[in-house]
Amino acid sequence: MSAPLILLKGVTKSYTRGKQTVPIFERLDMTIPTQDFVAIMGPSGSGKTTLLNLLGGIDKPSGGEIVFDGKRMDNLDESRLAGFRAGNVGFIFQFYNLMPMLTASQNVELPLLLTKLGPKARGDRVKTALEIVGLSDRARHKPSELSGGQQQRVAIARAIVSDPKLLLCDEPTGDLDRETAGEILSMLQTLNRDLGKTIVMVTHDPEAARFAKRTLHLDKGHFSEKDLAA
Amino acid sequence: MTLIDLVRKNLFRKRLRTILTLVAIFVAFVIFGVLATFQNAINAGVEVAGADRLITVNRINFTLPMPLAYATRVAAVPGVARVAHAEWFGGYFQEPRNFLVAFAVDPKNYLDIYPEYIVPPAQREAFLRDKTSILVGKSVAEQFGWKAGDRLPLKSNIYTQKNGSDTWDFTIAGIVAGNEARVDTSFVMFHYQYLADTRSFGDGTTGWMILKTTDAKENARVMREVDALFANSAFETETKTEQAFNKAFAEQLGDLGFIVTMIVGAAFATILLIVGNTMMLTVRERTNEIAVMKTIGFTTQRIFGLVLGESMLLALIGGLLGIAFAWLISFAMAGPLSRFGPIAFSWDTAATAFVLMAVLGLLTGLIPAIRAMNTDIVTALGRK
Amino acid sequence: MGRTLTQIGTVTAMNLRSLPQRKWTSLATVVAIALVTGVLLAFLAMANGFQATVAGTGASDVMIAMRKGSESEINSTLMREQVLLLQEAPGLAKASDGKPLMSPELYVIVDGIKKSSGLKANLPLRGLGPLANEVRRGITIVSGRMFQPGTNELVVGRAVSKQFRGFELGAKMRLASQNWVVVGEFDAGGTVFESEIWADVAVLQGLYQRGSTVQTVRARMTDPANLEKIRAFSEADPRLKLDVKSEKDFYAGQSRNIGDLILYLGWPLAIAMSFGALAGALNTMFASVDARTREIATLRAIGFRGTPAFIGTMVESLILAAIGGLVGAVGTYLLFDGLSAATLGGNFTQVVFSLKLSWSLVLQGLILALVIGVAGGVFPAWRAARVPLLAAFKEQ
Repeated sequence: MSAPLILLKGVTKSYTRGKQTVPIFERLDMTIPTQDFVAIMGPSGSGKTTLLNLLGGIDKPSGGEIVFDGKRMDNLDESRLAGFRAGNVGFIFQFYNLMPMLTASQNVELPLLLTKLGPKARGDRVKTALEIVGLSDRARHKPSELSGGQQQRVAIARAIVSDPKLLLCDEPTGDLDRETAGEILSMLQTLNRDLGKTIVMVTHDPEAARFAKRTLHLDKGHFSEKDLAA
Repeated sequence: MTLIDLVRKNLFRKRLRTILTLVAIFVAFVIFGVLATFQNAINAGVEVAGADRLITVNRINFTLPMPLAYATRVAAVPGVARVAHAEWFGGYFQEPRNFLVAFAVDPKNYLDIYPEYIVPPAQREAFLRDKTSILVGKSVAEQFGWKAGDRLPLKSNIYTQKNGSDTWDFTIAGIVAGNEARVDTSFVMFHYQYLADTRSFGDGTTGWMILKTTDAKENARVMREVDALFANSAFETETKTEQAFNKAFAEQLGDLGFIVTMIVGAAFATILLIVGNTMMLTVRERTNEIAVMKTIGFTTQRIFGLVLGESMLLALIGGLLGIAFAWLISFAMAGPLSRFGPIAFSWDTAATAFVLMAVLGLLTGLIPAIRAMNTDIVTALGRK
Repeated sequence: MGRTLTQIGTVTAMNLRSLPQRKWTSLATVVAIALVTGVLLAFLAMANGFQATVAGTGASDVMIAMRKGSESEINSTLMREQVLLLQEAPGLAKASDGKPLMSPELYVIVDGIKKSSGLKANLPLRGLGPLANEVRRGITIVSGRMFQPGTNELVVGRAVSKQFRGFELGAKMRLASQNWVVVGEFDAGGTVFESEIWADVAVLQGLYQRGSTVQTVRARMTDPANLEKIRAFSEADPRLKLDVKSEKDFYAGQSRNIGDLILYLGWPLAIAMSFGALAGALNTMFASVDARTREIATLRAIGFRGTPAFIGTMVESLILAAIGGLVGAVGTYLLFDGLSAATLGGNFTQVVFSLKLSWSLVLQGLILALVIGVAGGVFPAWRAARVPLLAAFKEQ
């Protein structure tokens, strides 16, 4: 097994709702090796999405350490975290979350606006990303003119355009029919296998989880025993 | 695509809403541009007033006469370089509603004292030579279509001729232009002597005097000494700088500055509310997208900048269109409203408008931008 | 029919109950409409006040004679001979000694200092003939007394002492190297005369070296209809040929220009500003419809018709507009009603008047507000009536 991309060491996370403190994780440990493709399953409220938020630098742990590629990231400030997300993480959401006023290629270009790349270099990258997801012929279409599967492919292109090491997917096929879902999941597999992307995918769907290299079951803030054994 | 494209695309997403909001901004800036132009016209006299020119009027009120002989006595006061006198004729052309600002002046001195009035040399010569000739201001000439050489009969609502006639016949010697747009040319002027020789009353009196001093620093002393000359006579005088005189004259219309400020204030309060409210609605609707952009890695400062940029762009487009339209209107106003002063759109007005656009953009964008900046990704995406 | 009404009632109530959720955007619209109404009403009140003052001046049974073409008192000159000839005119009211009730008057301008700006402004100083009190009615001395003929005494109108410095009772001033004193203050029922200073005509003639000339003649007629006879009398005599008008017509003519000017400024301004407020109203109402799309669609799904959705939205828009209009009217009333203002009148002298709001003006303001409400409501209401049923099931 290759070197770990992400290490969670004794991560604690809790929310305050009113006067109550709701614990999500208590001293959670986790290792995600580079080029892993891991599916995370579990019932509602088990902490799947919170885990994804922590991995993506959207949310901060209440305690413990998160190490990404050898560097601690749980103690970064807001703007460094934004930079971290821009450079290292691609997000794929259940409802695609494309900008309705932008065309497919403009949506894909969006993260590149945060880089120092010039228009030419950006154009090349966008083209490549759209080719990878097989949507070169839809580059000038707006999201409203695309099917759900096509929108999700644009979202994937957006996620990989800045060449991040990590892709985080939150129910990426939750809004798609079985056949389209299969296409999207195969695409993720390809990205993992051929481009070496590390993928963490949260899903309800055991069928979807089968596309991953391994599956972790999260329940009440802990991974179940069998996963730890694996 | 650039970040500016992003702002522009965001702005025109809800096209109807944006256009409506632009109309509101447009209207406010048209109101501002037109009123400021009108106010400038009224105040133009104050602004172009010569620093070394004084006006001497009857102390009781400037509409009352003073002896013509005063001009000679004032000329002898040290520090006075030149003296001209003028009288109000109450002139109109054919019918009282064609009212004209007509002065009976001491021609040579008057033209010398007002170098801002430009008359071609040949026309000037013709005017000085012929006692019954008249010079017509450019805006009047344009209004009535008069040109040099035309015969011009004028009536007075004050004077009648000794022979019982109520009409004075003039020949137009030339057209007076201003050396800059702010100079008012809505007047006609003719020889005082022509009026003095023919009118049935008013012997030996004139209306007011214009004094040119050798140096503006002498003004205060000259004013004192001139008024002292005639103290305790039946015609006491009061001498003021031309600027002070023009200012008081403009103020008589009413507190125009106050009214204009109130209207422009109300118009801007209205758009401040409307644009601010629209921006607020916009940001609220986009909460989800803003969260996505933050997730992708847009920093809070960038998000702030994008929203503020949008309100700025909105203010700028609406404002520039409005000011451009006000500029066009100023040409239409020039004819009918020229009697209030020279109507000319000024760079000052444009500059003020620009500042107002910036302030509007800033104020209306600030709270929505802060709100956008503080959007919490976790809450906004419902990811708990 | 009854069911439709019930539906309309239900939907309207739902609209209104959800207002607090949109309180800021609704408030912005209300205030914008209030500002527009306020600007309109301030102008209308100004025009109204000016017209009430100027057009309310003058009696129809007093005639005023001026030199032809002079347009205003300040420009007119009448010779003593003409005044004497006029005394023979038919239809004039007579005093007990048989003399016509006539007042030859001088009208000159003096400077006053405005309290508000500290700047000089033109004030009329009128010289009155001995019978002036019989000619003009409705003048009462409210403090001090009338001037003594033949002396350097002045009485001033209420508006003068209120708006200008140095005209209080007992105040001394210098006019043409002579000392004058204010001995009284008069009320003229809110007319232009209250913006005037009065003295004895003979004294002023001497002071201003007018000899025996005057500027106008006023005379009381036994009947307003006598005006035509007097006019004919004046036209028939080549030595006269005067402009003869009733005093009432004279002032009505003077008020027209400036009153119209204020009006012509006020309406276009208010209409221009209305577009701004309309944009606000439309944005607010569209937002209201958007926010309730699912609710409206759900109602449609369970059998409600489109009309109630339309009317409910219209009612919401109209209510916001009406509140805005009322706030604007009340604000104008509190801020501006009764406020004194002064401008140059037809005689090139200051006319002091008060801004005056009336019910008919308030009605005009409210109509403008409601027009904005209707225009701002109709398109959003149309959208509400056509919300597709599917919207009820859509992800939001």
